[in-house]
Amino acid sequence: MTTPLLKIEQLSKRFGGLQAVADLSYEVAEREILGIIGPNGAGKTTAVNLVSGVIEPSSGRVFLDGRDVTGQKPHVLVESGLVRTFQATTVFAGSTVRENLRRGAFRLLYPGFLATLFDTPKAREARARTVAHVDEVMHWLGLERFADHVASSLPYGIQKVLGMGIGLAARPRIILLDEPVAGLSAEETDHVRDTIRLVRERGIAVVVIDHNMRFITDLCDRVLVMAQGRELAQGAPRDVLANTAVIEAYLGKRYAKAQR
Amino acid sequence: MTQATRITWGVLAAVVLVVWPWLTDDRFLHHVGVLIMLTAIGASSLHLIIRTGHVSLCHAAFMAFGAYGSVLTVMSLGLPFPIGLLVGTGAAALLAATIGPIVLRLTGKYFVLITFLFGEVVRMAIVENVALTGGSNGIFNVPPPHPIFLDTRAYYYLALAFAVFAVGLCARILGSEFGRAMNAIRDGERLAECSGVPVIRFKVIVFIIACALAGMQGSLMAHYNKVLSPENFSGIISLNLVVMNVIGGMSSLWGALIGAVFMVMLPELLRGYVNIQHIIFGAILFATMAFMPGGIIEAARRVKALLSAKPDASAPPLARAGAAE
Repeated sequence: MTTPLLKIEQLSKRFGGLQAVADLSYEVAEREILGIIGPNGAGKTTAVNLVSGVIEPSSGRVFLDGRDVTGQKPHVLVESGLVRTFQATTVFAGSTVRENLRRGAFRLLYPGFLATLFDTPKAREARARTVAHVDEVMHWLGLERFADHVASSLPYGIQKVLGMGIGLAARPRIILLDEPVAGLSAEETDHVRDTIRLVRERGIAVVVIDHNMRFITDLCDRVLVMAQGRELAQGAPRDVLANTAVIEAYLGKRYAKAQR
Repeated sequence: MTQATRITWGVLAAVVLVVWPWLTDDRFLHHVGVLIMLTAIGASSLHLIIRTGHVSLCHAAFMAFGAYGSVLTVMSLGLPFPIGLLVGTGAAALLAATIGPIVLRLTGKYFVLITFLFGEVVRMAIVENVALTGGSNGIFNVPPPHPIFLDTRAYYYLALAFAVFAVGLCARILGSEFGRAMNAIRDGERLAECSGVPVIRFKVIVFIIACALAGMQGSLMAHYNKVLSPENFSGIISLNLVVMNVIGGMSSLWGALIGAVFMVMLPELLRGYVNIQHIIFGAILFATMAFMPGGIIEAARRVKALLSAKPDASAPPLARAGAAE
């Protein structure tokens, strides 16, 4: 068996008396889409924050491509090909779409302090390459016609796609999406779903967190259900949704009993 | 603005900066010119720090390190001025490299408070260390960089050269990909970090460069004034540099420069009304902040946008977005 692209082992995080995430383990293979669902306060966002280096885990390990990257800072993880998006502040609101993506492409664009200061041939080459790459990302996500629009002037759905674009501009191997369709209409949700499929077609693995069941079951190869910081079930979407424990967590014990 | 008009304006500005001291024999105007040049170094370097989202209230403390470092090197060790200047600038940079990684983790009002306190600590340290710094009395008879710079006109050119270097460095940094990362940090620190920007490291680099420039200004100021005392580096001086940035406009380096010219010239022009000088000064500051929240630079842009019927590329982003729809 090949090593999984992302492997989480017994990850835990405690905030004072609150066990936000406990003994969470999962794997993501290349080109796989893993969904993480769970009721409010289940620790889904914390799980993403732990993996992407925004907060440090209390215990447990994170392996990227077989390499231990536990506790590494976000900007270091970006270098290794792991990026994430945010639930709320997804874009640089005051900048154009093009500028947003250029900032996202920092890893490809930045040639070192002195190189950029003196605009060396290396810096110019990196810039030319990045401009082409940003154009490609815009084309691929259908953002071209908004290229020179200021992000805050765009519809919310497009902003969410742009948020993904910022992550994708860094040429990641895996992208973690924190509630990419929260607050979107059904139509916009379908657009984001199709976009995520395109991302996978590019050979990028995806971990996606959301509440929207239809969105998750349509999209994901596998689903991980969390409740109160722990794993409740893991597997193919249909199997997981038929799981009694999952129904209990979402709809209450009585409902689960009635279904049986 | 096209490339050609930009070059024309640049050449014009350069000619004015070089020639104007010869249009007047008024030594006082030459003196104001020197002050503007030196202050522009401090204001534009502080602008760099502000652009990463931090308002520092201890810029004068780094000037103090530059000034005392330079003066003590020259007067106590008997070394030439260029070495003094380097020592002063280096001392300020070293201090920034020491405290930067600690204080830059704080944001907003906490950063403002801690830098204000740090500035006071440095000032008190100067006052208390009488043997080294002369305490509150300060140091007198500081030699000029070279005897020819006893002439104010000559010193103006020295100050101009350093100001061009400092402002040019700031402009170059802001215009580079490093500047783009700084903007990303200011607009969304988390998002920038998750796009691969090493946020703290970049903030520290900016802080060191900006404080080194402040040290350079301190050294040039001390050798120009020929005296230095702790009062030259009090919290008010730091605050003034912040006010220059606010009044000029914090969105661009031009704002810092306009603010520096404005803040140096205004008190000098109001000298005729000694008894009400501070009241007028305060009223002007108040009006500027109340009616031009984006500073002079933003007000100028608005006026320009109003004058030109078609949407302008230099208009603020929101206006542009509105025009695009």
